[in-house]
Amino acid sequence: MILTRSKLGLFRYVLYGHALLVTAFLLLPIVFIALLSLGSSRWLAFPPPAWTFKWYEELASDPRWMESLWLSLRLALCVTILSVLLGGAAAFALARGKFRGRRLLKAFFVSPMIAPVVIVAIALYSFSLKMGLNGTFIGFVAGHLIVAVPFSVICIVNSLRSFDLALEQAAAICGAGRLQTLRRVTIPCIAPGVMAAAIFSFLASWDEVVISIFMASPQLQTLPVRMWTSLRMDLTPVIAAVSTLLVLASMLLMVVLGLVFVRRSPKQ
Amino acid sequence: MTDASAGLTTSRPARLRRIAQPMRTDSGARPAWPAIAFLFVFFVLPVGALMLRSVTDPHWGLQNFSDLLATGTYARVLFNTFLVAATVTLVSLIIGYPLAWLIVMLPQRWQQLLLAILLMSMWTSLLARTYAWLVLLQRTGIINRGLMALGVIDQPLALVNNLTGVVIGMTYIMLPFVILPLRATLSSIDPSLMHAGAICGASSFRLFRSVLLPLSLPGIGAAGLMVFVMSLGYYITPALLGGTANMMLAELIAQTVQSFLNWGLGAAAALILLCATLVLYAVHMRYLDEDAR
Repeated sequence: MILTRSKLGLFRYVLYGHALLVTAFLLLPIVFIALLSLGSSRWLAFPPPAWTFKWYEELASDPRWMESLWLSLRLALCVTILSVLLGGAAAFALARGKFRGRRLLKAFFVSPMIAPVVIVAIALYSFSLKMGLNGTFIGFVAGHLIVAVPFSVICIVNSLRSFDLALEQAAAICGAGRLQTLRRVTIPCIAPGVMAAAIFSFLASWDEVVISIFMASPQLQTLPVRMWTSLRMDLTPVIAAVSTLLVLASMLLMVVLGLVFVRRSPKQ
Repeated sequence: MTDASAGLTTSRPARLRRIAQPMRTDSGARPAWPAIAFLFVFFVLPVGALMLRSVTDPHWGLQNFSDLLATGTYARVLFNTFLVAATVTLVSLIIGYPLAWLIVMLPQRWQQLLLAILLMSMWTSLLARTYAWLVLLQRTGIINRGLMALGVIDQPLALVNNLTGVVIGMTYIMLPFVILPLRATLSSIDPSLMHAGAICGASSFRLFRSVLLPLSLPGIGAAGLMVFVMSLGYYITPALLGGTANMMLAELIAQTVQSFLNWGLGAAAALILLCATLVLYAVHMRYLDEDAR
């Protein structure tokens, strides 16, 4: 038996040591950024000569960073809503519809995940130059939606597959109309899947870099674009401060998602 | 009374049918149309148009491809791309497999802790992680100074602005994509097979080599192929951690289009990248995807 630790003898300590190193490797950059953002050295000397919040102050007082933050937030919210609506409807067709070419259609919806982002970005860049969409909010929404929709389709298809159709039939027999059944039975039952779709869509937009770099104009720069442009110029600790805030935000989202599924799991 | 109940029983199936009728379980393909239309206009059409430009820009013909394959610089970019993607895949598998194996054996609580760490690193902003590596791997960064303090090296190593930096940064990003699927594969292996082997007197090493490893090969293949495909088209990390001398394909495409405005050549390189991706993905779907079989 080599799927139980006790049977592995001394070799298990090799595995423990390996796991410890890999975990350290995974955590190192995240912890390091947080410490870096609090260090006082502009030249990123580490360990820093003193601890300070001045990079966060510089960040908060710079209107350009704040504009980018606001843009990224608005964009991610728009993309999340549209992605759940478009992807949710498509997922219904995939999970419930009986028509030819369903597998092909599913592959089609997942294809933006497989195509290298840089190709999507260049193609969309050329397209939006022609359509006058470059540097516009709508252009950003469209670009991010391409990346987000596959996540919504996958999450909602999965939750619809595990949903018992008898529940809908029961609601119909009890006299519920079509909309009422959808609103009070189907949607609450697939809520965790929809929630996951929303969070993944939000993250897909929030963290999208490549399409945004090509879509951006000097006036309209999302947070990742602003980070990218300043990263190419210098390694200012302000980026460490932004990064730390982003790490905290994604940890928060992870906790939310964790709570949604932990609350759900005892029922299953 | 008797009449009424008789009337009720006869009319019941009709009533049920009337109420249940609006709830057709088959929605047809209709709800998918908005998403299809959107992806067609903003994804299929632009990508198709770009691919077309590889043979029409600046004029009809295959001159872009002959430029791309004949010039030494571009050939080296292609070589670099495949070299880096293969190295990253191999290193992530070697590092990831033992950890996935251990995760399967650990008690629930520890499993969850390790998975949470993996997810956290996966969900951290890509630029934030790349920035961290950029600072960590500098000549004066803590990794170089740590190694020098330990006496491992006397001169700082060039860890960044070259392919070493790209491999380190990309391996970091790809590790979760190896460990999570491998964990799924390993946890679905029936432990009684291992029991049987042990009863027949096989040593632990023999069990690993003859039972566990062969059974996890499809998972290794699937995870490895996915990571290889993702690495081939990666743009951000190579652009920041790599040097100007060792470009990768995605960077070449972006630069050709953005800085040199050579759309035809950029599109030709993009077509090569897309074809490589699609072929590898088809192999994945055909031989390694468990859903499809």
